[in-house]
Amino acid sequence: MKKPRPILFALLLAVLAVLVFWFIRGFAPERIAGPGEAPSPAASPEAPVSKETMKATLFFLRDDDGMFIAETRDVPSTGSVTADAEAVLAELIKGPTGGLVSALPPETKLRQVFLTKDGIAYADFTKDLTAAHPSGSDAETATVYAIVDTLAFNFKAIKKVFILVDGEERETLNGHLTLNRAFLPDFTLIAKS
Amino acid sequence: MRNVFGRGFDSRRLHQIMMPHVRYRGSWAAALLLAAVCLAAVLPAAAGDQRTIVLDPGHGGLDVGAKGKFGSLEKDIDLAISKKVKALIEQSQAYRVVLTRDKDVNPSLENRAAIANNNDALVFLSIHVNGSFRKKAQGSETFFMSLNATDEESRRLAYQENREQALDKSIAGADKDDIKMILWDMAQSAYIKQSSQLAELIQAQLNSLLGTANRGIKQADFVVLRGVACPAVLVEAAFISNPEEEQKLVDEAFQDNVAQAVYTGLMRFLAAYGKN
Repeated sequence: MKKPRPILFALLLAVLAVLVFWFIRGFAPERIAGPGEAPSPAASPEAPVSKETMKATLFFLRDDDGMFIAETRDVPSTGSVTADAEAVLAELIKGPTGGLVSALPPETKLRQVFLTKDGIAYADFTKDLTAAHPSGSDAETATVYAIVDTLAFNFKAIKKVFILVDGEERETLNGHLTLNRAFLPDFTLIAKS
Repeated sequence: MRNVFGRGFDSRRLHQIMMPHVRYRGSWAAALLLAAVCLAAVLPAAAGDQRTIVLDPGHGGLDVGAKGKFGSLEKDIDLAISKKVKALIEQSQAYRVVLTRDKDVNPSLENRAAIANNNDALVFLSIHVNGSFRKKAQGSETFFMSLNATDEESRRLAYQENREQALDKSIAGADKDDIKMILWDMAQSAYIKQSSQLAELIQAQLNSLLGTANRGIKQADFVVLRGVACPAVLVEAAFISNPEEEQKLVDEAFQDNVAQAVYTGLMRFLAAYGKN
């Protein structure tokens, strides 16, 4: 009767230790960060500013030679690549603020962006992307690479971009460039400053 | 069904037609039929020995192509220029000319390439005028298909994906599509060098005859060029989106010059690189 007692005690202690360890590592950080807990007043004003916007680089056309020129803007950020990519593309569609030319029809709307685990971003636009497109191989090339270069430039996780229209693959935007494949960015189209 | 391998189709069909000869030996009717088939096959070849140039006026039908500020449409100018090139080539009887469209319709891009292959075309020329978001965009350029890293990579990816999927399941429709795409890619890839030479010769003529800015020869992955099994280029003569160049493009004399440039470039190519 005396022998099992230390073993039971040891087991009990071990179980307790594990539970305490789990509690500290697993639950404690969540509690501290959780919305129920009142955050320290010093941290709260800083955190949203640094976490909720990102510097987005948007590519627009220079009227003279059709090279891409970057415009940087603060864009709301959630930290999720797809949500941020949607915000950046929405900003790209809004067009330039200076004397540059947008390579996307202003009527275009973004439906969504999703990302595969091998780094291909699918950017899905409404059919306005093709219906309101001016056509011509110059215009098609500009549209494709404004989207592809902007996404790849801003997000390391995005290696290639596949453009969809109304959720489906298109053969071309308007009769030229093969669209039903993933595009690598072409940063040679960006003007050297 | 798309006829991917337009080349060789005729000869195979001829063999099929001639095969009954074996089965119906001794029958006078069959002998007559055979004679008629042989005559029909031999006569056009003996009379012409003409190879075919396929001209492809861009867009058409509901696809108007690029639009000008003054209301002119790319599809109309593409067709007008193509008809002028056809007339120039047909001045001599050395070549037969087939247009992928001779009226306001829009054949699919793959069908345009198939027309070239089914006619065993010597050369395929797609005639376009350019359009841009930029008002200042101007000049002329000639494209041939690109086989850059992007294409190589996407083809390799498609191949790998096919193999992986093939392990899991039998080949489904999507897989066949991927394989078909790879084959179509390869059709033009055998002619890239000749296509670049053709592009260079046409671009030189556009520069000297049109007086438009030289945008040079470029490579791009254009659907219409992918499946063409002969030297193939896409000409972009001036910008309809540029009001100044739009006014040139609707002018008959300017269209004549575009046609002359394309024709002269083509003839120099054929003279330099032979009939094969």
